[in-house]
Amino acid sequence: MAEYWYIRPGYEDLVRKFLENPPQPEISQEFEIRERDFFHAGKAAATVKLTLKRLGVDPVILRRTAIVGYEAEINVTAHSRGGRMVCNIHQDLVHLKFQDEGPGMHDIEQSMEPGFSTADEQVREMGFGAGLGLPNIEKNTDMLHIVSGSGQETFLEAVIFFKNNEE
Amino acid sequence: MKNKEYYHALRFELENCTGCTKCVRVCPTEALRVRNGKVLIDNRRCIDCGNCLRACQYNAIQAVADDLDRIAGFKYRLAVLSAAYAGQFSENIGYRTAKKAILQIGFDEVAEEAMVTGMMSRIIREYIREHADQKPILSSNCPAVVRLIQVRFPSLLPSLLHVEAPMSVLAAYFREKIAREKNLGEEEIGIFLVVPCISQVTAVHQPEGAYRHLQDGAIAIQSVYREAIGKIKQAERDERQVDIYPRGLSWAISGMQAEEINNGEIKTLAVNGIDNVIEILSKIENHQIEKYDYVVLSNCLNGCIGGILNNENPFIATSRIRDLIRSAQHIDFHDDHFYEMFKQGKFDVLALEARPILTLAPDIKDALIKLKEIEELTRKLPGLDCSACGSPTCRALAEDIVEGKASFNDCMVLSRKKRGTQEK
Repeated sequence: MAEYWYIRPGYEDLVRKFLENPPQPEISQEFEIRERDFFHAGKAAATVKLTLKRLGVDPVILRRTAIVGYEAEINVTAHSRGGRMVCNIHQDLVHLKFQDEGPGMHDIEQSMEPGFSTADEQVREMGFGAGLGLPNIEKNTDMLHIVSGSGQETFLEAVIFFKNNEE
Repeated sequence: MKNKEYYHALRFELENCTGCTKCVRVCPTEALRVRNGKVLIDNRRCIDCGNCLRACQYNAIQAVADDLDRIAGFKYRLAVLSAAYAGQFSENIGYRTAKKAILQIGFDEVAEEAMVTGMMSRIIREYIREHADQKPILSSNCPAVVRLIQVRFPSLLPSLLHVEAPMSVLAAYFREKIAREKNLGEEEIGIFLVVPCISQVTAVHQPEGAYRHLQDGAIAIQSVYREAIGKIKQAERDERQVDIYPRGLSWAISGMQAEEINNGEIKTLAVNGIDNVIEILSKIENHQIEKYDYVVLSNCLNGCIGGILNNENPFIATSRIRDLIRSAQHIDFHDDHFYEMFKQGKFDVLALEARPILTLAPDIKDALIKLKEIEELTRKLPGLDCSACGSPTCRALAEDIVEGKASFNDCMVLSRKKRGTQEK
């Protein structure tokens, strides 16, 4: 099993504080993601998006969450035997967790490179598999943590804070 | 801004309302409720799409537009026709005659959307190139779509084409031209749009992002058609010079604007019908469709030709317009002054503001409390979404209860169950 971490510069303390002592989420939503079910892919992200709109989350943050949620949902749909997504909403952040049933990533670092893809022909024909999913997730999230390995399950989690720290 | 009064081109005739909730169920922004047996509108939510008007069988919701009489208050009157206008007449009435009939019903001059669509395409292409980072650019000539984005997709506001729609641009252009050439004062010139739908009426009375008020009214194509059709004989004898622009009429039909903007280099997509528009906007929000540079969105099925204030059936009108494009000779309208006005920023639009109707409270903490209450209540409701309570869905009723606008007893299904238990 290999592990990959990304924390947006300037967010180290906030992320550490959250991970060391994760509070109970205010709202938790769970979704099933089925293998190769591209028709329904995006529905989980859509539900999360609606919830965030109701909470009045800043439109830029909303869009970043939508992209992270959708790309990760597509990854589970296209590359795994299926899995689940859990969306935990806290007062100051949204925490997205994806757990699939394998077969896992051979080399996470390589998968993070823009343009690298293991998508098969069917997935590519459907317009996916350009190798931009994970880089896109990293670009839009404040924290990304991946645990995976060849023949293993993949766990991916991302955290996006509601307040933009750069302001 | 919070207490802004919203104008809507709808009138409610409550004595006709049976409380059937048909309108409540078709509203894309959940702006309608039935309370005490009568329909009630939330003005902040309404985007003037016209779905409720189409759904109401009892004439309890009526369209509002300006009366033709209103033009009498001006010394010089210009009509700016929507491209849908030409589609209203049968083929034995020429396009030029239909336009001349406008001069017979009280206008001094007639202009039309179709005149400037060629120049607008050039402007739009330039805009798309300059704003590649906002891709895809979303068309802004349908006022209902602009308002939909303000209320439901605020994150997409920066992608909206921030240029006035062709008919507003024409109003700005002609206001300057007439004042200069006829030596008339601002208040002597009356500029009226002849429009296919109620969202255009609202856009004239309460424009979003306009630097200044450009038009004096919006008259329904239906009302103009009724008058014009009686003046066809006179129009045929009228020898004044009136130009026609058949190619530009294509903008009344969904898909054809996108086709025109697409020059091989710019990839375009056309979407019509409010539900389809919502679906596509949601995908754009996820970055799910990235290959397009420009997306043309129209609230009405088939495009403006499907607007509720038209006279002719949209399919017949489409066929008529296609015939006109095929058979009539096209003259290009060109005026350097027009392009100069664009360069000077006279067609610019202020940054459009969000109108986030979905947000439950200004503070996230308060919104979370409300959201949890709503979810808990929703679980207790039957989930039939029958609308018998007067709210569109069980979830919307839960929201109304939390907002103090309804009560648990409004649910017919639950109160019936309760009654049943009591009788036993």
